[in-house]
Amino acid sequence: MAFDATDIALSALKIGIVLFMMLNITPIMVWVERRGSALIQDRPGPNRVGPFGLFQSFADALKFILKEDIVPAQAHKWLYTMAPAFGLLPALTTIAVVPWGRAFRLPEKVWFGRHVFENRPIFEPVVVDVSAGILIVFALASLSVYGITIAGWSSNNKYSLFGAIRASAQMISYELSLTLAAVSVLLASGSLRLTDVVWRQTGYFVLFDTLKLPAWNVLSPAMWIAFVIFTVSAFAETNRLPFDFAEAEAELVAGYHTEYSSMKFALFFMAEYMAMGTMSALIVTLFLGGWDIPWWNEPATWQGFLATALFFLLKVTGMLFVFVWVRWTIPRLKYDILMRIGWKVFLPLAIVNIVVVAGFIAARWI
Amino acid sequence: MEFAIFFFFAAVAIIFALVVVLHRNPVVGALSLVASFFALAVMYVLLEAPFLAALQVIVYAGAIMVLFLFVIMLLNLQHMAEPVTRPIQQFLGYTTGAAFGVGLIYYLAKYAVFDKLPEGAFPSDAHSVGVALFQEYVFPFEMVSILLLAAIVGALLLSGRTYAKREAAR
Amino acid sequence: MIPTHYFLILSAILFTIGVVGVLTRRNGITIFMSIELMVNAVNLTFLAYARQFHQTHGLIFVFFIMAIAAAEAAVGLAIFITLFHHRDSIDVDEANLMHW
Repeated sequence: MAFDATDIALSALKIGIVLFMMLNITPIMVWVERRGSALIQDRPGPNRVGPFGLFQSFADALKFILKEDIVPAQAHKWLYTMAPAFGLLPALTTIAVVPWGRAFRLPEKVWFGRHVFENRPIFEPVVVDVSAGILIVFALASLSVYGITIAGWSSNNKYSLFGAIRASAQMISYELSLTLAAVSVLLASGSLRLTDVVWRQTGYFVLFDTLKLPAWNVLSPAMWIAFVIFTVSAFAETNRLPFDFAEAEAELVAGYHTEYSSMKFALFFMAEYMAMGTMSALIVTLFLGGWDIPWWNEPATWQGFLATALFFLLKVTGMLFVFVWVRWTIPRLKYDILMRIGWKVFLPLAIVNIVVVAGFIAARWI
Repeated sequence: MEFAIFFFFAAVAIIFALVVVLHRNPVVGALSLVASFFALAVMYVLLEAPFLAALQVIVYAGAIMVLFLFVIMLLNLQHMAEPVTRPIQQFLGYTTGAAFGVGLIYYLAKYAVFDKLPEGAFPSDAHSVGVALFQEYVFPFEMVSILLLAAIVGALLLSGRTYAKREAAR
Repeated sequence: MIPTHYFLILSAILFTIGVVGVLTRRNGITIFMSIELMVNAVNLTFLAYARQFHQTHGLIFVFFIMAIAAAEAAVGLAIFITLFHHRDSIDVDEANLMHW
């Protein structure tokens, strides 16, 4: 494990880029959510603060910083203060294993009179390329239950506790179908690394000897069920409508973050949008081809890397817009129906999909 | 560098384990156990087994401890005052535990010091574990799945009986 | 490379803390958590030896231990809930009759 200055500098750069992207998701998504919901509901939306209301996020951030921080009297002070941190930890760390561009060899350069990148190391645009890639995502995503549970319990408020228990029961139920739906993709890819999953999707399906489709997993009939299950479970995992029992406005006051104000609430808010961003990135990586630009053989240079990184960003943005779109279109399910779907419909379907993919692999169709 | 990571996370694991054992409130104990398991997962990564580290967090910290937390919160156990242990039991418990621990560490330090590791990589990824599970250990694997089924049925039966009795008592 | 006996000693310390927890606490849930701590210490020992000899047998053992510990936690907590509903007390010293 010999680290030299180049490795450390490149890692720091990757971490910086990914963190920058993740921290910027919240203000941008706040604006998209409010203007998007206004578009869907046929009303103007915020348009006072700057052109098209673009600086609304600044106004919101200022409000959050300047608001009074209220701590309920009987709340467990330590756990109450640390719950937003529990919520933020999985949101910020799961993005580390997602590849966001094509790997390329760094060209030799002379900076400040010194030769750098002499042995032309490969720049792999993943923060951490572990062999057990996607398991890290599931491991850290399963820790997100704690943020909600502890927030609801430590607030010493009946409604918060109800929201927290319902939300955590929902999250642990849908974690199962999320994991099993991803397993069928991993079965087809033969590896747990997300970089391998994306590389496998850079090929082509040739239909009728003429039509060349990009080999994205969503276009493979064996994984259609898995795509639907994974996307819906991603909604359930991030507590977005139609599964937002954690917040359930107009039902539970504000669910698990009822008693939270100003900066702590802002942290929960940020954690939710960042988790949304990570789930979108995962859906794009597993099913929509990751950074692959269809019908173009990306060169292994920095131009190819930049093009693939921008295309990945485009896909993730599209997926995030779908999240917003679904939120304002579909009503909330009843809780027992939601749990029933999670256990009795999605779990058997995900297992069936694994068997189907295994059958496809055995018949050499994949 | 690795030693810094090892000592830091070993300290985290030990300190949170002490909080579990010594603190009155079971919710704080459960969360400290989660932190301890997380530190142990880092230990597993240091032992070149990232697959098992991820499994540790998924199974232990992410599922079993959530179950513990649910039970503690739904039964409202944190308000129940735990009776103080009798002093003789405390004294005997601490001294026996300390003697046991000291003896264990002494013998480990004396007899379990290895000087070098074998060559090559440690086959700890999902592929090697999967191959071993389905070839050498396929019988225990199937037995564990039957055991998990038995555990599910048992847990459902135990909780169902309570509910039925309370319904009948009304 | 960190020598194996560091991990073994850490595991021994965690196991001892778990033993002390089981012997000195009266809260059923805390005793349960101490047992889980002991099981994890043993997991660490298995993994340390697996790495020392570069064998997968230790890994498989840890895998099975995790599965079995999950099953044990589920059933044990169900038993504890049943006991709690009957006695309305979490004190394990009070559950001292074989039949009530």
